[in-house]
Amino acid sequence: MTTHFEFCRQLRQRLSAHEDRVLLRVVVSPDFEQPREFTGKAILERAEQLAAPFSLPGPRCVVLLLLPHSPELFLLQLGLVLGGHIPAILAWPTSRIDAEKYQRNLVHQLSHLPADRLVTLPRLAENLQGSLPYPVCGVPVENAGAFEKVFPAAPVTQRLESGKFEPRKFRTDPDTLFLQFSGGTTGAQKAIVVTAEMLRAQFRQLTEALDFSSVDSVASWLPLYHDMGLIACYWMPLWHGAASLQMAANDWVLNPELLLKYTARYRVSFCWLPNFAFSYMSQRREQMSRHDLSSVRAWINCSEPVRLKSVMEFASAFADCGVRKESLQASYAMAETVFAITQSQLGKELAVVPRQRVQQGKHSYSELAFDLIDDVYVSSGKPLSGTEIKTVAADGSRCPDNMPGEIWVRTPSLFSGYWSAEGFQTHSLNDGWHATGDFGFVRDGELYVIGRFKDIVIVGGNNIFPEDVEAVVNSIERVYPGRVVAFGVEDEEFGTQSLAVVAEMKGEFNEEAASQLEAAIRKLVMTAIGTAARYVAVVPQRWIVKSTAGKISRRETRERFVRERLNSV
Amino acid sequence: MIPDSQTIRTAATEAASQLIGRPLRPGQRLVTSGLIDSLSVLKLIGLLEKKLRVVIPPETLQPEDFDDVDLIVETVERVAKPAA
Repeated sequence: MTTHFEFCRQLRQRLSAHEDRVLLRVVVSPDFEQPREFTGKAILERAEQLAAPFSLPGPRCVVLLLLPHSPELFLLQLGLVLGGHIPAILAWPTSRIDAEKYQRNLVHQLSHLPADRLVTLPRLAENLQGSLPYPVCGVPVENAGAFEKVFPAAPVTQRLESGKFEPRKFRTDPDTLFLQFSGGTTGAQKAIVVTAEMLRAQFRQLTEALDFSSVDSVASWLPLYHDMGLIACYWMPLWHGAASLQMAANDWVLNPELLLKYTARYRVSFCWLPNFAFSYMSQRREQMSRHDLSSVRAWINCSEPVRLKSVMEFASAFADCGVRKESLQASYAMAETVFAITQSQLGKELAVVPRQRVQQGKHSYSELAFDLIDDVYVSSGKPLSGTEIKTVAADGSRCPDNMPGEIWVRTPSLFSGYWSAEGFQTHSLNDGWHATGDFGFVRDGELYVIGRFKDIVIVGGNNIFPEDVEAVVNSIERVYPGRVVAFGVEDEEFGTQSLAVVAEMKGEFNEEAASQLEAAIRKLVMTAIGTAARYVAVVPQRWIVKSTAGKISRRETRERFVRERLNSV
Repeated sequence: MIPDSQTIRTAATEAASQLIGRPLRPGQRLVTSGLIDSLSVLKLIGLLEKKLRVVIPPETLQPEDFDDVDLIVETVERVAKPAA
């Protein structure tokens, strides 16, 4: 059993062993030429320096970090862990938000999450101070002005309900390292509690599967509130004394070539990416220069179902840069198991199975929240050591090989509970098994993920909970109360999903009012959720489909939308 | 050669309309209104490059630089280079 103390002791030792080697590079826009560099020694010093000034009321404090991509975010999270506290990273908003609505929404969301501090940029801290049941501290980061300009200079606290500080009622596990949100938005969500033992188990498994060591190097644009960004691209290399380069997602979206430039410059050996990123970079290939990518041992496709088209396009588009088909790899991962559950075998091409060779399940899965668009399924590899996987049919029986069902997992890195409004909540397991809510099948010991059972929408690798979107849209006055449905629609071009919202309009329907309401919905979804809804349909009353039991049916509404509206929206 | 403002304006209106699947209204915001997301901005850039036969280097650009037709015209005039 690895305790918090033991984990931190080992981590310090490992970083000290590489005191003169650059282990962390953080790209700070607009200076793309010279990432900020930190050696093992500088990481330790700066991390502790950043975490020191918060005068936290005692050990094991829960500290929410709401900061943009910056060296300070990376180092402060580490510093808080080393200092015996429990950081949780929240998603920084896009620059396209309505500041006032965002702040109001943030206060509403965070008021329900037990914590001891919120740490954010100074101006936002000033605006939010007194509106949360715990103190808000400002920390200056490099280039803060570029991020703070989104928020008005005048504090908006007087418009928010003033709160008073009360000691946190709930206790935390003494071996908790940090909290991890499983979705991109904070919503009314629960954070997964990651303990020293869970993280250590995950490192052991990944190290073995990838043969990862200090000579490896990682490049990433994935945000730290995402398990792939946090665990695979930041903590794993840190633990091994391997170098990582971190750039902001926003910078990558507009200039995907940057990732390849850094990959060539720093001889990167591992790159984790969601499926859509493979299609996205391939489509931009013509505009890119040729970079030497031959150092990459594995481009690991993760966090969305792996699509053969996306993988093959990438291999072909970048073959002249030294990308080999056998370097394209896949992994099935989720925050509930810290990160990876399976990993394909390095140096070997991904296994595929044509759809017609997969058996139909014994029972229908009417709740599938996605279309079966693939003709060929791609393997996500074998379970990591000590990990067991099975697929379970709708009647609870175990599926034989080659028959799809719900994916269940049992692994040493599995979580035991959430941090939520009620403090630590134990997650109930079935004889140690966790039902993932994902749909797939096992063949020859390898897992093939087809999609999500649950209605989670995955846009560009980020989980969006339809309930969050529906709650936000429901708050608009002209929307018929309770008559909103959000869901995902497949985007075959980018190999990801798009967010769609259908809302019934209150009162008599007319096109002009519907158009105004559509604009209001788009703006609010962008502000509160941070993702644009690709499709918004404002419809007359009684358009949304109800089940025979009288409940709104997300699946049937989605089917009706795709059938009747998709081409005309 | 970089096309003139009117040609860029027409191309921007066409490209944006194509992207949102209906005619773009005058003055309509694309990004801050939530009509298109960051990923679609790259699609927009791709469409503009094809229509105008230019290269739009993405360095130092932000999605907001493509928020409406006026901004797109300004951005293209500022950063576009003729396609090779």
